Amino acid sequence: MTLVDRDFQGAAGDAGTKDLASVQDTAGAERPLIELRQVSKTFGTVKALQDLEVSIRPGELVTVVGPSGCGKSTLFNILAGLEEPDPGNILRLKGVSSAASDLLGKVSFMPQRDLLLPWRNVIDNAILALEIEGMPRAEARKLAMDMLPEFGLAGFEAQYPNQLSGGMRQRVALMRTFLFKRDLMLLDEPFGALDALTRTMMQRWLLDVWQKHKRTVLFITHDVDEAIFLGDRVLVMTARPGRIKLEQVVELPRPRKANIVTSLEFISLKKTLLEAIEEESMKSFQVAGH
Amino acid sequence: MSGTATLAANLPVVSTGRIGVVLRPVLWLLLALVVVEAVVVVFGIRTYYLPRPSVIASTIMATPGAYLAGLWRTFLETALGFVAGSMFGVVMAVVFHRWQTLRELFFPLFIVSQTIPVIAFGAVVVLWFGNTLFAKAVISFYISFLPVTVNTMLGFSAVDPRQVQLMRSFGASDAQILRRLYLPAALPQLFVALKLASSLALVGAIVGEWFGDTTGLGVLLLQAMYNENVAGIWATIVVSACLGMGLYGAVSYAERRIVFWGGEQ
Ligand SMILES: Nc1ncnc2c1ncn2[C@@H]1O[C@H](COP(=O)(O)OP(=O)(O)OP(=O)(O)O)[C@@H](O)[C@H]1O
Ligand SMILES: [Mg+2]
Repeated sequence: MTLVDRDFQGAAGDAGTKDLASVQDTAGAERPLIELRQVSKTFGTVKALQDLEVSIRPGELVTVVGPSGCGKSTLFNILAGLEEPDPGNILRLKGVSSAASDLLGKVSFMPQRDLLLPWRNVIDNAILALEIEGMPRAEARKLAMDMLPEFGLAGFEAQYPNQLSGGMRQRVALMRTFLFKRDLMLLDEPFGALDALTRTMMQRWLLDVWQKHKRTVLFITHDVDEAIFLGDRVLVMTARPGRIKLEQVVELPRPRKANIVTSLEFISLKKTLLEAIEEESMKSFQVAGH
Repeated sequence: MSGTATLAANLPVVSTGRIGVVLRPVLWLLLALVVVEAVVVVFGIRTYYLPRPSVIASTIMATPGAYLAGLWRTFLETALGFVAGSMFGVVMAVVFHRWQTLRELFFPLFIVSQTIPVIAFGAVVVLWFGNTLFAKAVISFYISFLPVTVNTMLGFSAVDPRQVQLMRSFGASDAQILRRLYLPAALPQLFVALKLASSLALVGAIVGEWFGDTTGLGVLLLQAMYNENVAGIWATIVVSACLGMGLYGAVSYAERRIVFWGGEQ
């Protein structure tokens, strides 16, 4: 059992490294959509990120897991252009070196909380980003109306956020993110607040939508199953200061069925990832204990 | 049996309906008037101290034109000062919110301006602007803008910074964030101030009229005082109270229509 495990791990690890290398070789054909090198971020005395290296290819769905407080949301804030990393970093969007603030308006970002506006109904919350882009309201509303059934919100267009359940609010926020059509989509624990059943439904639904819309997605989660089920790759972050500890390629065939979670491959991936996360979580507790 | 039960259960529902909401305060007011009338008669209170409500009513009915004209004039002064003061208050809140330096420079001055008693200020305004409707509106304006500025700023500062970041990630400009986030988010706080400002603006208009004018509720009050016409004083008080309640009611009505989501963030 252990032998098989180690074998598999080795294979997966190799595949990961090879993949990265080939990307750099054939930069013209499959150049990363976004690339971070030596990215650090310090808040006063707190070092949230240190020498983080990530590169995401177009069309990939990459999931990020890591202990709480390790800097996942900070990474997203940098990618969304909201925080400037410490000097000395390299940040390339489609091969072009950029400052983080250049990314404002270029990435569609869904924060950890839904942040719906209480004075706007479902439709008007969903079209917020489109309105800011300057699309006429009527046109934006029409686009959103057509999307409602896909997000399980048909018939709720005129409801206000305080009339919705947590899961529905989250779906409105997701819809707002999807309507803001950008190459890179950042989802910060989008299903974190949902019950287990809704969550599984939403995961399958997200895979469908992702395959249909061909978007590049970076997805933060606390749930290892979710990370494997959805991702082409799973990035495990270290305890603070956050770095990439492990980059695990998930070679499960797509489309993925719900029962894939019981497959041998899935379980061995899960074991590898859980071990890595556990190690980091222990560290963050030890640091806290001091 | 069950019929009576249903009827009994329905009764309170009917009385708390729409009509009930309007009628109940009126009924209470009528009852209070009757009680006051009875107290004045029973204890033989002299008109000099407190005239009977019926006497006050007949004073108003004796020269309704004078009271209506006064009411209209004072209403115009109040409304002008209130609307201008509220708009100025919101604009200043936006300016102070947008430019931190201006806020540090001028906000203390705003507070100081309010420590000058309006009476002292009123004389100057009448000297500057003459004995006009505009001069009274200026005094209303002067005492109504500050609460609006302060509360709007309070509303701005309660906006969730993550909400602002989300808008910025969509590429929103400062003006778009102001219009789509800060201003609507400050509405609940703004209305609290508007209700206060409407009462203050009325005070400003009445006090302004004391510096000299020919029509208005303030003028009626002064005239009645010089003539020791106690019923006249009370009649003016009643008319002013009606104006004050009307303004407050109008603002409350607008609040209920506009801020339908309550204070929820
Ligand atoms: N604006 C800020 N000012 C100061 N410290 C901050 C700020 N933002 C984040 N931090 C700190 O940086 C660290 C990383 O925070 P971050 O929100 O990125 O963690 P996270 O991995 O998203 O955690 P969680 O899984 O709980 O959402 C934390 O220790 C946090 O206290
Ligand atoms: Mg987070």
